[in-house]
Amino acid sequence: MTSLILALMSALVGVLLIVLIPGENKKLRNSIVFLSVLLALVFSWRTGLLVFAGKSIGLKVELGRFVWSLRPDPLGVVFGLIASTLWLFTGVYSFGYMDNKEKQGSYYVFFLLALCVTLGVAFAGNLVTLYLFYEFLSFATYPLVIHERSPEAMKSGKKYILYSLSGAGLLLVAIVLTHHLAGNLAFGAGPILEGLSGPGLNWLLLLFVLGFGVKAAVMPLHHWLPSAMVAPTPVSALLHAVAVVYSGAYGIVRVVYSVFGRELAGELVFSKIFLYVIVFTILAGIIVAIRQDHLKRRLAYQTISHLSYILLGAFTLTPWGLAGAVFHMISYSTLKITLFFCAGIISELTGKSSISKMKGIGRGLPGTMVLFATGTLGMIGILPLNTFWGKYYLMKGSVAGGMWPLALVLIISGILNGVCFIPFIIKAFSGEKNQPAGKTGKRGYREYALFIPPLVLTIAAISMGLLPGMVWPAVQAVVDWFF
Amino acid sequence: MAGVITVNLPVFLIILPLVAAFILPTIGRRQRLQENLLLVVGSLGILGAGYLAYLVMDGGISSVYQMGGWPAPWGIELQVDGLAAFFLLVITFVLFPVFLFSRGNLAEEVGGREKTARFYVLILLLGGALAGMALTNDLFNVYVLVEVATISCVGLVSSRNHPLSAEAAFRYLILATFGSALILGGIGFIYIITGHLNMGFAAQELAQVWQYRPHVVWMALIFLLTGFGIKAALFPLHLWLPDAHSIAPTPASALLSGLAVKGYLICLFKFFYRVAGPFLLQELAIDKIMKWAGLLGIVLASLMAIRQDELKRRLAFSTVAQIGYLFLGASLLNTRGLAGTFFYLASHAVIKAALFLSAGTMLAATGKEKVSQLAGIGRKMPVTTAVFTIASLGLVGVPLFSGFVGKWYLLLGALDGGDFLSALVIIGGSVLCAAYLFPVVRLAYFEPAEIEEAEDPGIPQKIALVFLAVLVVLLGVMPGTVLDLAGRAALDLLTP
Amino acid sequence: MRILLEKLLINYPFFFAIILFVMGAFTVLTRSNLFKKLIGINIMEGGIFLFFVAAGNIKGGAVPILVENNPGMTYINPLTSALMLTGIVVSVSVTAFALALIIRLYKIYGTVDARRIAEMRKEVKERWQE
Repeated sequence: MTSLILALMSALVGVLLIVLIPGENKKLRNSIVFLSVLLALVFSWRTGLLVFAGKSIGLKVELGRFVWSLRPDPLGVVFGLIASTLWLFTGVYSFGYMDNKEKQGSYYVFFLLALCVTLGVAFAGNLVTLYLFYEFLSFATYPLVIHERSPEAMKSGKKYILYSLSGAGLLLVAIVLTHHLAGNLAFGAGPILEGLSGPGLNWLLLLFVLGFGVKAAVMPLHHWLPSAMVAPTPVSALLHAVAVVYSGAYGIVRVVYSVFGRELAGELVFSKIFLYVIVFTILAGIIVAIRQDHLKRRLAYQTISHLSYILLGAFTLTPWGLAGAVFHMISYSTLKITLFFCAGIISELTGKSSISKMKGIGRGLPGTMVLFATGTLGMIGILPLNTFWGKYYLMKGSVAGGMWPLALVLIISGILNGVCFIPFIIKAFSGEKNQPAGKTGKRGYREYALFIPPLVLTIAAISMGLLPGMVWPAVQAVVDWFF
Repeated sequence: MAGVITVNLPVFLIILPLVAAFILPTIGRRQRLQENLLLVVGSLGILGAGYLAYLVMDGGISSVYQMGGWPAPWGIELQVDGLAAFFLLVITFVLFPVFLFSRGNLAEEVGGREKTARFYVLILLLGGALAGMALTNDLFNVYVLVEVATISCVGLVSSRNHPLSAEAAFRYLILATFGSALILGGIGFIYIITGHLNMGFAAQELAQVWQYRPHVVWMALIFLLTGFGIKAALFPLHLWLPDAHSIAPTPASALLSGLAVKGYLICLFKFFYRVAGPFLLQELAIDKIMKWAGLLGIVLASLMAIRQDELKRRLAFSTVAQIGYLFLGASLLNTRGLAGTFFYLASHAVIKAALFLSAGTMLAATGKEKVSQLAGIGRKMPVTTAVFTIASLGLVGVPLFSGFVGKWYLLLGALDGGDFLSALVIIGGSVLCAAYLFPVVRLAYFEPAEIEEAEDPGIPQKIALVFLAVLVVLLGVMPGTVLDLAGRAALDLLTP
Repeated sequence: MRILLEKLLINYPFFFAIILFVMGAFTVLTRSNLFKKLIGINIMEGGIFLFFVAAGNIKGGAVPILVENNPGMTYINPLTSALMLTGIVVSVSVTAFALALIIRLYKIYGTVDARRIAEMRKEVKERWQE
């Protein structure tokens, strides 16, 4: 139990320390950030391993009629481990990316704060606690979105908060309604709404989906995500490809399995309707992506598309579907972050952010583009990348759930992912050497910090692809928990 | 001795501020002494209200107090129940920090050190009237107290040394007196058909008589709703409030928005629930009227608040919107809904006071009036801005702050009654609230500073601000006792 | 229809009270002169006072001063008149306050017309800020 608290506290303590030390001492601050994230990671893994071993750890506090509880279960642990691990990589990447930028103090404060809050979302043991951290997540990430303070950033921030708070509001209505119907809000062994039935529950599911769907960038609630690309790249990579959006996706999975339960969810007509929305998001997302010229926005729409893979797996209501969803959560995150990191390297070292201007860029940044290409292969979902397994189980789950057209959708989506980026990669390696400005081949601290995280992540992704057994126990634990 | 105090505690709580109000002009020269007297009154008030609440919950005090020993129907009764205890606590806990706060630059706002005594007298009269409104059980007594409160409120609005204050005060006075006439008319109708001025007896009589005179009862209730609605700023009768509350001196705005409008609402509750009863309210569709007025108020007033650039006007429109919440809650007619309404009332009183006090400090320190001129103030006045931020989070309804608990129970109450639309409006109101409060916070913290010099106020004001902010958080994290008291208040109100 | 007229005739004080109330309310809401608004308030309140006092009247009742030797006597209800004394006092205070405010407004704006005051608002505010 102590590991649990320490995981959250280490981030908070880091925040306090940074706030207290003066702004100029960069080395000290970066060391504190690194240490905090590392400790958070260590303790999260300890917590996670305990949970996978079958131990039940939790922390419950009853404050004035409200029960706040942290109780990680396998699903929450998977999310938490993804978050804390990737936070470390993003931290290192940030050291490189933010090195020559302003307001680093403010950046790192909210960077760590967002980590603490994301872990809170992951480890929450009941709906109220989940709601608490979910709301705070919006507030903690807002300063990161508006970091540049440009007019565009401020507009994007306003959209971000508006969407988030509206979603959170609908979520609150859904939670109160659940409390009204069931009297209990804790994520236990059985679903909260067990034994209830009726058409009204469709509306409840709708409310939950709308509430979490904003962060999970389900269309048509996704508009904030492409705008949020105005944030610094590490923020886009971590938060808007992993942490924040996963909190939405995690929320929906949690609702389907812990609140409604498999059987009830299967009975509701809304589940079927929502599958159409998911399919639409998957296909429309990637199609719109293809039409984007701005690299980060293209990646953003690709994110929107891929997030719905997770939702698809959840809504097949089969063990393989859920396994696919969890697999995809793990594998997609590693590669998407890599793609964003590469985009950041390109924009930092060459100053370019539009694809149309990036011809021949692979000649100047070969390493980066190789990583990018690997990431794209992952997005398509082929071996030897880990995303293959996610797709495999998703397709198996679709067929098992009697929804074989979904498998077709996944295949089409894979092809479209290819269409999205392969021309770009080819273009990048063709033509003349597009010499990045100022790159003289010298490798400094900054370049290492920028390059090593995506490199390590790509290697990890390939390893997971070749040896899925590394990740399988975690997936198994989640599936066993719910089925 | 202790026995005498305990038994007569209700009256003492009313008399205390009134006596102080009479003493104050005699020490008009010595400002320190005035301020200290206020603090003494404030502290005694908190202690007294706290003790009274304890006695009420414990059962150690009789629920009926007869003024002067005259039993009803000859004498005026005070009903010492959960509702009274609850509201008295709210009053005293908000008055105390306001007293503390007015040690600041009040003299500038009212136009001279000699005039502060008059200001304090008005506040004390208002406090006494509100305490009376919490306790009274007599129809005409309500009218008297309402008038005392109205005149004090108008006086407070007019006390600012600013040319627009006379205009705002005059409009407030005319509209409020219009409302008073309506209230008196309503009381008259009830008296005519029941023959009683005591609320309990009138209720019993009304239950038997109303079917023979349904139109008279309906007129009475509508008159009362309109009359109290004008004073409590129910939409669309709120037109006087933005001018009045924005032009008043800062401590007065805090009290007016935080306490005064609530006092009239409590009186209306007494009329509607104690005298008429939930059954009549439903029969005569009064609850529907309250609900729709509340819903419209929440949405429209919040939208208008977003459009205001002057900070105090923005907060004033916010008050109208939040009053909409209270009326919505009042229309719910079930215990959970009412308990949530009372909790929300307490939460809003504390929050609004905190918002006005911190906003007033920021405006006074920088000499500006508009939100757009307050960029970067977060770094110059950290304590004040922090209090404003905490209060904003509280009003929006973020968990761990008091507004969340209130909204939770309001939502439960709405869903109990199967009212989905109200639930959505409650949430929509929160989003709109964020839309008009968060830009201020954003400007304060995330924009470069345009202000040359501004600094946090002195110790007494800081203590007052922090006191209120701490209350907001406490009510959010540990609402247990207050929730119990609110529940008791609701129960006492619904069961005769 | 006849019954209605009969009832109205019997209860004529209340009828007039309502008329006064409505007249007063109308004056407050429609007249732009501040003094007239105030007069309207007073008329409204007059209507209410009449209402209450008439409510206390009992036909054939005597003045409510206790007469020792006649125990079975009917007196009119003194309560309502007493209440209205309070009401009149309140009305007087409000009127005094309102008059003071009107004087202050006249000093600032130079007019007692509500519409003109509303128009002059902005200039007065700007002038004060200098």
